[in-house]
Amino acid sequence: MRDTLSTRFLGRTVLLAILALYTCYSAGPFLWIASMSLRTTSEISANAYALPETLHWEKYIEAWTGSNYGTYFWNSTIVVVSAVLALTIIGAMAAHCLARYRFPGNRVVLFVIFSTLIFPPQITIISLFQSLVEYRLYDTLLGLTLVYIAIQLPLTVYILEGFFARIPQDLYDAAKVDGYSHWEIFWKITMPVGMPAIATTVILNFINLWNEFLYAVVLITDESNRTLPLGVQKFMGDQLEDIGMISTGLMIAIVPVIVVYAFFSEKLIQGMTAGAVK
Amino acid sequence: MIVFVTPALLMYAAFTAYPVIRTFWNSVHIIRPGGRTEFVGLDHYVELFANDDIFFRAVTNTLTWAGVAPLIDVGVGLLLALCLYARVPFARIFRVAWFTPVLISYVVVAILWMWIYNYDWGVANMLLRSVGLEDWQQTWIGHPDTALWSLIFAHAWKWAGFNMVVCLAAIHALPREVLEAAELDNCGWFHKLVFIIVPMIRPTLVNLLILAFIGKMRVFDLVWIMTGGGPMWSTETVSTYVYKRAFEWNTFDLGYPSTVAAIWFIVVLCCVLGLTWLFRQRDRLEY
Repeated sequence: MRDTLSTRFLGRTVLLAILALYTCYSAGPFLWIASMSLRTTSEISANAYALPETLHWEKYIEAWTGSNYGTYFWNSTIVVVSAVLALTIIGAMAAHCLARYRFPGNRVVLFVIFSTLIFPPQITIISLFQSLVEYRLYDTLLGLTLVYIAIQLPLTVYILEGFFARIPQDLYDAAKVDGYSHWEIFWKITMPVGMPAIATTVILNFINLWNEFLYAVVLITDESNRTLPLGVQKFMGDQLEDIGMISTGLMIAIVPVIVVYAFFSEKLIQGMTAGAVK
Repeated sequence: MIVFVTPALLMYAAFTAYPVIRTFWNSVHIIRPGGRTEFVGLDHYVELFANDDIFFRAVTNTLTWAGVAPLIDVGVGLLLALCLYARVPFARIFRVAWFTPVLISYVVVAILWMWIYNYDWGVANMLLRSVGLEDWQQTWIGHPDTALWSLIFAHAWKWAGFNMVVCLAAIHALPREVLEAAELDNCGWFHKLVFIIVPMIRPTLVNLLILAFIGKMRVFDLVWIMTGGGPMWSTETVSTYVYKRAFEWNTFDLGYPSTVAAIWFIVVLCCVLGLTWLFRQRDRLEY
């Protein structure tokens, strides 16, 4: 008995050690940039791995004022918030329709939307570029927003349809007896009851679009229209070898996501994993 | 009531269906700036298959990535999930620490890993020096032999946490009784893993593998910022190649990159159909 107990204990210790190592690997890089973001480049060149001796918080102000971070943040916010709002409404309406009304081609529409999830972005990106140029939407935030709505729409509809289809039919029957219109049924039943799934897609879309790079790099060129990922890339190019300043810039870009994570971690994990669990 | 689905269908038609069709139309034309087009039939396709070495290099790299990385991602994710399921202490902290990389944008991940791979002061070489393996030091992303694998490693760093969380959710959704019955039968943890947990969460694992596969077939951001496809095309992926041909090189033709995109679209579609068929559930487990 004692033998098995001690082997168990040994096993646990080994396991914990492996997990601690993995955690260093997974979280270490963050702590590294976090510490570098508070140190000057000359301190970093002396020793890249020391902890900050004096906390140079002024570097954050310098990074923010010495670049266009304000513009990048504002652009990202406008594009992402409007795209997520539109996605939520358009996506929920479509999902409601597909989950609740029977019409010929219902399943076909769902299948087509679902299969879009596997499309590589290249298949649309060149022609989107052409079309946006033709309609004078190239290099505008409106154009980027429209594209963002389109790229996240399939996943949004797919997740919401799955959830809406499981809402009990009784609720809808009762609403019909009470004389609700189709529109009222959508706003007063599907939307409130489906709120957990809607929150999930909102967070998922927010993170995906906040970090989106490929479409932005193709469709935006002007400095004043850059979103945050483009801005960070530009900032890195501008600062050249100024590692300390770049780390500060990176931290500024990471912080909003970490804040969202801190407040909504459960919802966020659900959102990121929705669709993959069966 | 069909009105409800109309906005979504309009968006889909304008920003997904039409561009796909237009890309195929592009692929049989030369498209010069200013919209001057010229029909060339299948010339681009012939050129691509006959003479385009860089394209085949990009395909090899991308397929290597898409073949190896899903196994790493899902394997590591599953192991981590099992560790958390075994109720180790600090599980909450572990989960947060492992999941965070998923949320970070590729731009940040790329810059971070460029530093980790830095020859003089990067973590990778520093660790090698500290254990006395100076000879193994590399210019990790600067050498054609190591660049692709370094990128695959950095990419796996970002995605393992995602797979962990999904696997954990799937394991927690399993019926208690089955696992308890296994414990009563004195089933060791390895057998429990191989004969009970993996078969039961198989649909989730298959989804994750296919999801990871699709993600790797389109990989762009990380490569673009870290190496730009270099050195010597050793990290060129199909995505970066299309981007270069369309927007970087002064070839003044959007037709040829559209051909590459069209072919790649068909390849991805066939691969996903093939994988789905390969992993189809022959006998559904009921529980």
